[in-house]
Amino acid sequence: MKIVKNWPRNIWSWIRQVSGDAAYENYLRSTRRVAHAEAEMARVDSRTMQAGCCSTRATSAQLLSRSEFYLDALRRRYSTVSRCC
Amino acid sequence: MKSLLKTILWTAIALAGAGALAAIAFERREPLNAVWFVVAALSTYLVAYRFYSKFIAAKVLALDNTRATPAERLEDGHDFVPTSKWVLIGHHFAAIAGPGPLVGPTLAAQFGYLPGTLWLIVGAALGGCVQDFIILFCSIRRDGKSLGQMAREEVSKRGGMIALLAVLAIMIILLAVVALVIVKALKESPWGTFTLAMTIPIALLMGIYLRYVRPGRVLEASLGGVALVMLAVVSGQWVNASPVWSSAFTFSGPALALAIIAYGYAASALPVWLLLAPRDYLSAFIKVGAIAALAIGVIFVRPTLEMPALTRFVDGNGPVFAGKIFPFCFITIACGAISGFHALISSGTTPKMILRESHARTIGYGAMLMESFVGVMAMVAACALQPGVYFAINSPAGIVGKTADAAAATIRSWGYALDPQTMSTLAQRVGEHTLLDRTGGAPSLAVGMAQIFSGTIGGERLLSIWYHFAIMFEALFILTVLDAGTRVGRFMVQELAGHVWKPLGKSGSTTGILATSALMVGAWGYFLWQGVQDPLGGINSLWPLFGIANQLLACVALVVATTILLKMGRARWIWVTLAPMLWLVAITMTASYQKIFSANPRIGFLSQAKVLAAQISSGAIPAEKIAVTQRLIFNNRLDAAVTATLAVMILVLLVEAIGEWIAILSGRKPAVLHESPYVATKWAEGGD
Repeated sequence: MKIVKNWPRNIWSWIRQVSGDAAYENYLRSTRRVAHAEAEMARVDSRTMQAGCCSTRATSAQLLSRSEFYLDALRRRYSTVSRCC
Repeated sequence: MKSLLKTILWTAIALAGAGALAAIAFERREPLNAVWFVVAALSTYLVAYRFYSKFIAAKVLALDNTRATPAERLEDGHDFVPTSKWVLIGHHFAAIAGPGPLVGPTLAAQFGYLPGTLWLIVGAALGGCVQDFIILFCSIRRDGKSLGQMAREEVSKRGGMIALLAVLAIMIILLAVVALVIVKALKESPWGTFTLAMTIPIALLMGIYLRYVRPGRVLEASLGGVALVMLAVVSGQWVNASPVWSSAFTFSGPALALAIIAYGYAASALPVWLLLAPRDYLSAFIKVGAIAALAIGVIFVRPTLEMPALTRFVDGNGPVFAGKIFPFCFITIACGAISGFHALISSGTTPKMILRESHARTIGYGAMLMESFVGVMAMVAACALQPGVYFAINSPAGIVGKTADAAAATIRSWGYALDPQTMSTLAQRVGEHTLLDRTGGAPSLAVGMAQIFSGTIGGERLLSIWYHFAIMFEALFILTVLDAGTRVGRFMVQELAGHVWKPLGKSGSTTGILATSALMVGAWGYFLWQGVQDPLGGINSLWPLFGIANQLLACVALVVATTILLKMGRARWIWVTLAPMLWLVAITMTASYQKIFSANPRIGFLSQAKVLAAQISSGAIPAEKIAVTQRLIFNNRLDAAVTATLAVMILVLLVEAIGEWIAILSGRKPAVLHESPYVATKWAEGGD
């Protein structure tokens, strides 16, 4: 029943994801997730090794604005083979 | 009980598929309905996906959902982004589906529907899907490394270099051949040219909107763009009807070729947000919509296939392209059955976004099955035409003659009914001046698609709109391939040129961008110009070259996959990749040999050059045409040299790989895998 009730929303969400319309939201979510994981790791590190400096990910960089992210994503996508014959 | 029901269900699906395939293969009494093709394809795909891909996933690759994928370990919000498999399969399918699965089967329809259909279905299930799936898996296990990097690390440094050169070669020939398809579709067609020309300002408008007005709002910009494109398609009829506008948008083949070369240069050098990206969004929307509409239309209209199962041209003397079924059917249909180019996508962005290893099966194997289905639909659309009409559209004037009467007489002499009036009436119905000498596959596919679409919506009244919609859809995404391919090719040339002179290698240097863009556009532009000048239509020589280059890349991918399987200790299962690889080596080597050395001047480049040289010596060529003929001789020799280079590359790669395999199997060399170390997933382990 829940699936039937939610299908228009699910289809809309799928279309936004596939078309790339939701790319910026994904980026924000992903960056928050990574930052959270880093904070967790730093807390564990500080307890076990007294050093919260060992993360390998560079997520402390500033978040990109929607416009900056759009340009960055295009640059990445079209620097490699993105469309087939 | 549940298991018994499953067994009954799968047995029924397998029997339905076998029955439909048998009908396609053996029924000769009356024309077949398209439903047989849909049932045969879908049943085979279901069985192949359920059993063969599952076997590969479980036994051959031993996919491990407890292992963290690069998207989890290296998540950065940019390249490495964990993505749902149902979203990723959409991205992956949109990336692999290009003009190839539409044009290839349309051209191969000259043999009849049987050889191409069987190759599309069987080739995909046992070859193309396996390649895409396994390369995707290999790249996932190597942090999303590219095919070239994997070839260098797992096979040899030379293998990596061959992969790089193969990619560049295929890129140049691909861009030339797809540009030629557009030229052939749009020459002397004001309606089609106007519609395609309008997509440029529409894309620019979208680019400015997406950059400055509402950054990144792809959906709203694309929907607006699609609406404007539809308006352009409909408005094209008034352009066509107006003597002034009609002549303004009427171009000859050479003029269109020059315009496309200039466009390719501009698109490659302009900022990506301005033209390339918005055109890509526009094209992706229309592509997916048109392919879905074609599949629904075929099921709804259920057209009867007028083309016989096998035509007389299985003897190798076909007017569309010369050569026998083996190897040319398998070279002509690449993308719908197996395409090396897909290995670049499977080792590109997709492996960096996959959530779990098990998703590689749905995305790698599943998306290729969808592409194969697109190929089958294109075959149905082409074969639904009367054979006489199909050959009149796809045969060059050099073979059937320049007038409707001459073409009809030649085609009737082949045993296919056609009167000259039929072609002029059909051209009028679709809003064209003529449909004769429209080689390249796109116009005949558009006529087939228009008949199917108008059978669903609008009837005869909308036939011309549907025809131009189909032409616009094909030309639009061919131009996208042209834009994106020229740009990537430019980066490759820049990388290579940087070794010669450092400033050229700097990605931001204006001189470097302009010079390498010119080199790349000059390379494919030369082959395009050659195709436009070719009296046999150009497709006859360029499409097989493209097929050979594409299958060469598939050989590289399967060699890499086989080497990795050996190193993983799966020697008993290497037939999974070895068998399609050997088949590809057989077809590419045979095709290369025939294209170079065949005594038939329509097949062999060297013999065609010899015939032309003999004509000059005997004085059969008028003085004013000697320069052109000498250029044709040079072009034929150049094509022979390119084909020979591709064949030598295959042989060198094979020798390298076989040496590596023997060393590993005999224990002389340790089997060192270059996989990333195992890291357990932190996300709900084991689930799907």
